[in-house]
Amino acid sequence: MIAPDTVILAAVEGPIDEAVLRRLAQHVGTDLRSVFGKQGKPSVLRSLHGYNLAAHRPPLWVVLVDLDRDADCAPLVVSQWLPDPAPYMCFRVAVRAVEAWLLADREQIARFLSIPVSQIPTDPESLADPKRTLVDLAGRSRRRAIRQDMVPRPASGRAVGPAYASRIIEFVHGDWRPESAMTRADSLRRSILCLNRLLSRL
Amino acid sequence: MARGTGKPLHLTGVQLENWRNFAQVDVGLQRRVFLVGPNASGKSNFLDVFRFLHDVVAVGGGFQEAVRKRGGVSKLRSLSARRYPDVAVHVSIGNDETPTAWEYELRFTQDNRQRPIIKREWVARGGREIMCRPDDKDETDPERLTQTYLEQVNANQEFRDVADFLATVRYLHIVPQLVREPDRSVGRSNDPFGGDFLEQVARTSEKTQKARLRRISDALRVAVPQLKELELWRDPARGTPHLRGKYEHWRPQGAWQTEEQFSDGTLRLIGLLWAVLDGSGPLLLEEPELSLHPEVVRYVPQMFARTQRRTGRQILVSTHATDLLRDEGIGLDEVLLLLPGVEGTEMRPAGDFAEVRALLEGGSSLAEAVIPLTRPMKVEQLSFFGD
Repeated sequence: MIAPDTVILAAVEGPIDEAVLRRLAQHVGTDLRSVFGKQGKPSVLRSLHGYNLAAHRPPLWVVLVDLDRDADCAPLVVSQWLPDPAPYMCFRVAVRAVEAWLLADREQIARFLSIPVSQIPTDPESLADPKRTLVDLAGRSRRRAIRQDMVPRPASGRAVGPAYASRIIEFVHGDWRPESAMTRADSLRRSILCLNRLLSRL
Repeated sequence: MARGTGKPLHLTGVQLENWRNFAQVDVGLQRRVFLVGPNASGKSNFLDVFRFLHDVVAVGGGFQEAVRKRGGVSKLRSLSARRYPDVAVHVSIGNDETPTAWEYELRFTQDNRQRPIIKREWVARGGREIMCRPDDKDETDPERLTQTYLEQVNANQEFRDVADFLATVRYLHIVPQLVREPDRSVGRSNDPFGGDFLEQVARTSEKTQKARLRRISDALRVAVPQLKELELWRDPARGTPHLRGKYEHWRPQGAWQTEEQFSDGTLRLIGLLWAVLDGSGPLLLEEPELSLHPEVVRYVPQMFARTQRRTGRQILVSTHATDLLRDEGIGLDEVLLLLPGVEGTEMRPAGDFAEVRALLEGGSSLAEAVIPLTRPMKVEQLSFFGD
């Protein structure tokens, strides 16, 4: 049983980030109570001021957005988007997208996608578009179901396949290991540190 | 039926002339289709094309009955049609490799006794015509033009696959009140509004029924976490079937509730999941998002996608739900927009619009990109109604 005062409130861009944060919360021994946003990055950034106001007192807030190509480095945008973080606010930016954190657990993602580990990039945070990389890797899967779910049909005009999110969420909950992923993804390592630091303050 | 092509056949395209509120339509159909448009733009009328073809081949159906059920030719014919032109329906049936394995066209009008009368019936297989009416026999006996060859087993031998395929079309728009009070639609079978839904579940072989209900209750647990078990149960006094669910409760044993106590959302979700598992032909769904929590609606498209990858089944849905269209995996060719105009409703895939592509490129969701295109005209006037 998790003590009610250590639950976390969160705001994210979409369902994949939600799954990732739930897994991280579990990793640090707590749980997410409610998840706000989930209507894309602009809406999270628009509401950020409100989340920050709420975070002046417990419970903890964690807000996660992708860096994408908005800036060269995360700390710069963090101070731009949220110059004055509240005491219970943990505002994190994934470099350059949360998919990099998933690729950072190389063995598990390779197993999940049914491709050789050697094909998984060793420095996922240096990827310009980790989501694209992940979709491309899924396209090399030995399993047809993975390819069909995750890779878009050429005529679809979309960046991901029809059940991409569903597959990734399945991976995050079933196979992904934050403790090994953080050794290759510094923005993930720092997010976990931030969560632990704020939790210890409660 | 697909004859060694692996995946089952699906509707790959449709052309309409003067069908209800469509003067002219020519669209391709993917395995998953989302119909998006303002109220009264014709989403249900569009789905009705496939229900109509199903009614033509259904047992106890036929062309005359299918038209009669819809109020006659004059009700079917587009209001924007000038004078008395024909109503025409042309469907292509195939799979990803051969999108036009079959084509079927039916063109009709009414005679001076207001009976529906066939002007043309045509079938092609792999692009080659194999039947075309009126033929010589029709010339000598015009009475024959009141029935399609499609509906007649001794005339459709060469294209039986088309008739068999159309017979598998299923339509569902579960109305929770009807499921709870089946007396309201007594005697109907395959009632699209769910009147005989419990009977349908009861008719399924016990093994299949149990397996499906187990899968459904597993899936439901996401939306209704207190629900632990789902089973079919017969009322010992009247013998009528009921669905009942075991809810986690303060009592150690939990409490059983029947469908009469289920929420609208729970019932609709059960109906939706059952329909997806039941049958293999095209499934037509009206607004599956009704009564469902937006967070549940969000995952419906992905659930369809994974079901389809496994079964190949086609699913056509009408929707107003922004949450459903927020899904990143929905293809631009899977979304058909209905755009009402003076000359009837126009239908175009979302991918036809350069602005939609640009907005998505810039990070908008599909919902943000397409909903404004289908906004009802002068909708703000609704607020004036209060005065």
